[in-house]
Amino acid sequence: MIGHATATGNGYADRLAATYRKILLHPTYRLLILLAGAPVTIIVYVAYLLLKSKSGYTSIVEETRNKLLKSGYLDELLLEAKDQLERKHRFFGQTVNTEQTAREAKQLASQKFEETLQVQLKERLSEESGLKITFGDTYHSLAMNPFFLVLSVIIGLPMYLLMAIYANPYVKYIAERLFMAIFVIFGVAFLVFTILYISPMNPAANLLGETATAEQIATFNHIYGLDQPYLVQLWNTIKGILTFDLGKSFAGNENVTTAIANKFPVTLTLTFIATLIAVLIALPIGIISATRPNSFLDYTFMFIALLGLSIPNFWQGLIFILNFSIKLPWLPATYNPNNWLSAIMPIVVLGTGLTAAVARMTRSSTLEVIHEDYITTAKAKGLARRHVLWKHAVGNALIPIITVIGLQFGAMLGGAAVTEKVFNISGIGSYIVDKQFIPDIPSIMGGVVYTAITISIVNVIVDLLYAFFDPRIRSKMKQY
Amino acid sequence: MTNPSITKQEVQFRLKSSQEYGQASFSGIVSLALALVLLLNSYIPSTGAFKPVVLIASLTYFIFTLLQLAVWSLIRRDLIQFGAIKRSTRLLGYVLLLSILSANLFIATAAFQLLKVKKSSAYTLSVYAALTTLLVFAVSALNIFKPYVANGFLIGMFLLIIVTVLQLAVVLLVAKYADKPILPRFMWVVAFILILTSVSGNLFALFLGLLLIAKLRDKGHTSGSKLGEVVERLSRSSTSMLGLLFILFLLTLSITSYLTFDYGMAIDNNYSLILQSPNMAYPLGTDNFGRDLFSRIVFGARISLVVGLMSTLIPVVIGGVLGAISGYYGRHTDNVIMRALDILYAIPGILLSIAIIAAFGASTVNLILALSVGAIPTYARTMRANVLLVSTLEYVQAARAFGSSDSAILFKHIVPNSIAPMIVKSTLTIGTAVISTSSLSYLGLGVEPHIPEWGNILKLGSAYLETHAFTAIYPGLAIIALVLSFNFLGDGLRDALDPKLD
Repeated sequence: MIGHATATGNGYADRLAATYRKILLHPTYRLLILLAGAPVTIIVYVAYLLLKSKSGYTSIVEETRNKLLKSGYLDELLLEAKDQLERKHRFFGQTVNTEQTAREAKQLASQKFEETLQVQLKERLSEESGLKITFGDTYHSLAMNPFFLVLSVIIGLPMYLLMAIYANPYVKYIAERLFMAIFVIFGVAFLVFTILYISPMNPAANLLGETATAEQIATFNHIYGLDQPYLVQLWNTIKGILTFDLGKSFAGNENVTTAIANKFPVTLTLTFIATLIAVLIALPIGIISATRPNSFLDYTFMFIALLGLSIPNFWQGLIFILNFSIKLPWLPATYNPNNWLSAIMPIVVLGTGLTAAVARMTRSSTLEVIHEDYITTAKAKGLARRHVLWKHAVGNALIPIITVIGLQFGAMLGGAAVTEKVFNISGIGSYIVDKQFIPDIPSIMGGVVYTAITISIVNVIVDLLYAFFDPRIRSKMKQY
Repeated sequence: MTNPSITKQEVQFRLKSSQEYGQASFSGIVSLALALVLLLNSYIPSTGAFKPVVLIASLTYFIFTLLQLAVWSLIRRDLIQFGAIKRSTRLLGYVLLLSILSANLFIATAAFQLLKVKKSSAYTLSVYAALTTLLVFAVSALNIFKPYVANGFLIGMFLLIIVTVLQLAVVLLVAKYADKPILPRFMWVVAFILILTSVSGNLFALFLGLLLIAKLRDKGHTSGSKLGEVVERLSRSSTSMLGLLFILFLLTLSITSYLTFDYGMAIDNNYSLILQSPNMAYPLGTDNFGRDLFSRIVFGARISLVVGLMSTLIPVVIGGVLGAISGYYGRHTDNVIMRALDILYAIPGILLSIAIIAAFGASTVNLILALSVGAIPTYARTMRANVLLVSTLEYVQAARAFGSSDSAILFKHIVPNSIAPMIVKSTLTIGTAVISTSSLSYLGLGVEPHIPEWGNILKLGSAYLETHAFTAIYPGLAIIALVLSFNFLGDGLRDALDPKLD
């Protein structure tokens, strides 16, 4: 690294400059840091130009180039490239006009010329040290000056924050992941809004009835801002999502965000409990199946799991109601927040798919890990079976399982609409379904986007969990 | 031969390596479970009596289960004592074949495998082809109890009989000749007849025809075709073959129903026959408009298969192409495509479908498009991962050195070699698509309500859950059976093709 070669003993400046140089190597970050610290960049750039002309670097480059040109090296290269191209065309039986060949040959030759020039320059510079000045070096020499350092912190604070984030691999990983999540959230808002915007449906006509006059429809559209241009509406919607104010719904004239805030916790609580119970049941089943592969127990468990994956939620819910509410009056058929007994059936129905998916994933991933070499080593060392399984196998098998849980949690939150309809739960899913017939654009928009945001946050948490639990990912993170 | 002191491991090995033993235990257990389910269903708790028809069916299943378990113990004894199954035990397979009369496919397929010592993929395919046609014939024949039948019923049944006879003859021919290294010339005729019969939707016959032609053209020069290899590996798992059997049974039934089933029965209201319990004329009863549930479910299979296949095919193609381009060109192309798909990936499938249908209205085409859009990112990710892997291989470098264009390298060399995981993944997700279709229909967002689709039938039936539960139970069973079949097939294909799935 250049940073080590030019260490000066000034601790702060060295560390800062090393980070600065590293960031400059990365195209996206380079742009960001140059922009974030624009005032500092300008100062450094002016200093860089001054230093460069002072050190005589440019004159050396010119000198070397002229020397090379004079020796007729370029013409030599040109001839060689032309010959090469002609032979290539003859081999493949292609016919290319001479003009194009000449252009290609010139390109090849100049490329080679530059390469040789760089090599010669490097040789020359290694003889006389301290001649080549880079942008990073300029910053380094400036940073040693305490006055510049204080000034740059004042005028280029964002740049230093970026450098602090970049310097720590964990912080950098978290920042990148959060940035991605924010990008996805805006993308989702844009996508859902656009889908609803280009919809051929006419909510005004649907709500006001067929007898509505054109004026009434126009007034309706004006009240809800539907007559504004696309970009204005999009901007208002995104602003609304961020400020939790999506306005009033078309039907019922209720505040959309308040309605969603009332419904969302119901769905979230049910799915969360369902996930928890599902994982608690599925993990042991998967591990038992994996430790006895192809046994009767394994086949039975996996058959039941596949059955669980194949049952539609609404049918399962109906059968449960038929058996446990109608035939045997054990559980209430509709959900009531004050009666925990009524939550049992929805939770079981919601959790079935997740249980099945996690059990299958646990089995296959544990089986895969069990056949790894390090498990054989652990066994060969004479460790107890139980110890090998729990300490060495399950821990490593958990990584893909966590992914599946994260993904399935999202699917569950989205798919809750069906279960909510069966058990008459007033959650976010049934809210969206009720509103879609009009279509009540702000309500659907809010419901879908807030659900997607929740799922994105869950996925960020899952990803961060990985980073802290899996040593392989940790070491990979440090490398980049 | 007999060695009294063989170790436990040897016994285990002999039992595990015998296909017949595994199939016998599987079919015995499944048919026992079915017999118990039927027995439970025949009991009426309110009166303490039994429904005679269901009870008889249950008893038949019990008898065949006992027979199968007896054969199972004989196979076990033979394997432990002699290391192979005796001829006399194999001959018992003919007795077990009778189970097909009680529609017990599990025992019947096991019996077919038991009869033949050396099983070839051609034999397996021919058996399954004949079984499929036989099943379709039996199910279509239930229509004769109805007050009237479709116009094409007689022609359809006649054709089905001919096809059944032809395919049974093929089973015998294949059993006799298919093991020979060089097939006799008349097999060309057999192969063409088979391909002709596959017009009914019986793809087993198509595969068998292609397999025979491949073998005829090959003239014993190579060890066998790739299709034969996959079928052979697939046929080792009873569950995946049964899954495929059920899917192709539904496909054939959907196609032949144009002749043998009357669409009027499924959609015309008949107020004199409202909510009839299952009887001979209406095997699954009638709904609240007096429409025959059995016909409705048969016609619903068509919609479910079409929507399931289309909403898998579209994202496979679009996602596959995007993933391939993304993985091959890398860098900025990759970044742009994958980030755009990340947005799509963040919205759960059902929710995105609801939003799209809310915007464009509920219809079958919109449903297919809505389900397709949500599934694109998954396929793109799978394809991208495979393309990344394959494009580092030597033959891709060789193609580049020869001056092939990027598109030729990508679509001729890389994509065909990274398609296996896509096949497995799509088979596994057709089931999900079928569930999503019926779920959305249940919510009133899917197929138009007047079309007999399984979710629509269930939605109507759910209103009569207390009094006429069967109207909601049977369509649900049909959905589960189809989804389960696709899942079994997908699992089997994954083992047979053995791609490295991420």
